[in-house]
Amino acid sequence: MTITCSLGEMMIAALARTIEDATLVFHGFGSPLIQLAMHVAKRTHAPRMVLVAGATYGIDPDPPFLTPTTNDWVMDRGATSALDIEELFDLAASGRLGRMFLSGLQIDRWGNCNVTTLGYPDIKLKLPGGGGGCNLSCDVAHLTLWTTAHRAQEDAEGRRRFRLIEGCDFITNLGHRTWDGKRTRDLGHRGYGPQWLVTELGLFDFANDGHMRLKALYPDISLDEILENTGFKPRLASEIEIIPPPEQSVVEFIRRFDPLKIHEKELRAEDIRRRFSIA
Amino acid sequence: MSTRSRPVYADFDKRKSLDDLASFVTDGDIIAVGGGLSSREPMALLRAILRRGTSGLTAVGSAHGIDIDLLCAGGALSASAESYVGFEQDFGQAPNYRRALESGTVKAEDSCCYTLVQQLRAAIQGLPFMPMRSVRGTSFLSLHPEYRRMVCPFTGEELLLVPAIEPDVALIHAQYGDARGNLVIQGPPVADTLFAKASRVVLATVEEIVPTQRLGELVGISIPYFYVTAVSEVPMGAHPTACYPFYPYDRAHTALYYEAARKGADVFHAEYLDIFVHGAAEHTNYLARIGGEATRKRLVSWSDGPEAWKLLYRDEAMA
Repeated sequence: MTITCSLGEMMIAALARTIEDATLVFHGFGSPLIQLAMHVAKRTHAPRMVLVAGATYGIDPDPPFLTPTTNDWVMDRGATSALDIEELFDLAASGRLGRMFLSGLQIDRWGNCNVTTLGYPDIKLKLPGGGGGCNLSCDVAHLTLWTTAHRAQEDAEGRRRFRLIEGCDFITNLGHRTWDGKRTRDLGHRGYGPQWLVTELGLFDFANDGHMRLKALYPDISLDEILENTGFKPRLASEIEIIPPPEQSVVEFIRRFDPLKIHEKELRAEDIRRRFSIA
Repeated sequence: MSTRSRPVYADFDKRKSLDDLASFVTDGDIIAVGGGLSSREPMALLRAILRRGTSGLTAVGSAHGIDIDLLCAGGALSASAESYVGFEQDFGQAPNYRRALESGTVKAEDSCCYTLVQQLRAAIQGLPFMPMRSVRGTSFLSLHPEYRRMVCPFTGEELLLVPAIEPDVALIHAQYGDARGNLVIQGPPVADTLFAKASRVVLATVEEIVPTQRLGELVGISIPYFYVTAVSEVPMGAHPTACYPFYPYDRAHTALYYEAARKGADVFHAEYLDIFVHGAAEHTNYLARIGGEATRKRLVSWSDGPEAWKLLYRDEAMA
């Protein structure tokens, strides 16, 4: 009998809760936590979700196990049909895509994400790039952001490197304010921008003016830890909640679906060891 | 530009050697590399291009990995306009790509998937640009000063205009083709059909060249022969990326590649390029160097079922 779950499983459950039933939802590549969250949502509260798999663009696949890379035939086994690249992005541009998940090596207080470069225009560290994230951040109705590296670490020179920062060096994926401080809602994009941010420390939403706001913590994390590890002063919800654990059946599904523990590749070693009671 | 008329390739027999295909790519070309991430990338053709010493290429594309990383290491690129280059959660960032872009030897012209789709669609339709809503408000506008804004004359809303991209050469690896250059792609086509229609020259390697009649019986997406300039039969031509149903992603070889790349440019040259690219003058030499029949057998075991498939991706399978 399973009586504890891992941080990865807590995060997957928190991410899954941001998905509504009967909406068209898409995940990108390089994001096993999101792949798992979508399959969890479809098997629990969102059975009518239209699940579009990243890279293969298969519709409602039922893969036998999670693979180390996204464009693998394993991942579209059981799909009832498949889109091509232009159809997927057309769905977003025409307002059919309900939710997408995005991340960044920098995430700012307005939910902008940088996956392109640290340092700009002079490149200090070239990041891999955001795929279609830039387009989708503007076009998709709602965004859930996530990161597994909220906790600030020291770089080679001993400086603390924040993942959640005041402003991004380069805006790859659009949040609620542009690089020059304008409200993005005035740009006339289809999407309403970031709605949630799930990290390994807590859960944020975004206030009416688009600023990031702390909403909930994991049971083993204090408010001080959040504030110490955030590169700006986040707003605080009037009541900070505790993130609930997943149901036992969800934990068991995750372990069956990801026997190679692919999702742990997204997590730091100290976070893989964290355990939470689900009793 | 996109207003130029584009050639039609009508020859009955376009079969050529791999090196002949590579010779169509000239210094300074804009190339569109097919496939994506760990799947169906035209790796044998890229290795042949590197052996020729071709340089100054600009790569356009969506989400890629080892293909663009290898071109960076081999000195073929001067700019990358890919939307992503990396090894996803499996190995992380692309070491050769990072070195090349951080040192400035390859210029960062990053793009986004839908922007690329719209730019290719403009070329396909013979139009100078396509409009779109997204991207406005992001830093891509400063990276790409060629983008323009306009007020829609019908609705009054502001739109972004992105210019046509007409690649000089598309490099595609498909499962099947015939002598005339008809292609069948099975599984996700990624941007390959767009690349084939938008590019001036289309070079295709295929796992098998089959009679045209057999091609018609295969399930998959077809690319008509008149887009295709030349075709070459290159079994395992996408290795170490996947080309199902023939073989999956070779995670063990990719780990070897990544380990050499991580150690630095000189180590990568000695431990990878000199052995698997410059040290393998023919594709058959490459196949021998990656382990020959034993490797092929290991990879085809994916078709024995999910348990065998899973085994190929276990960490202990890397040793």
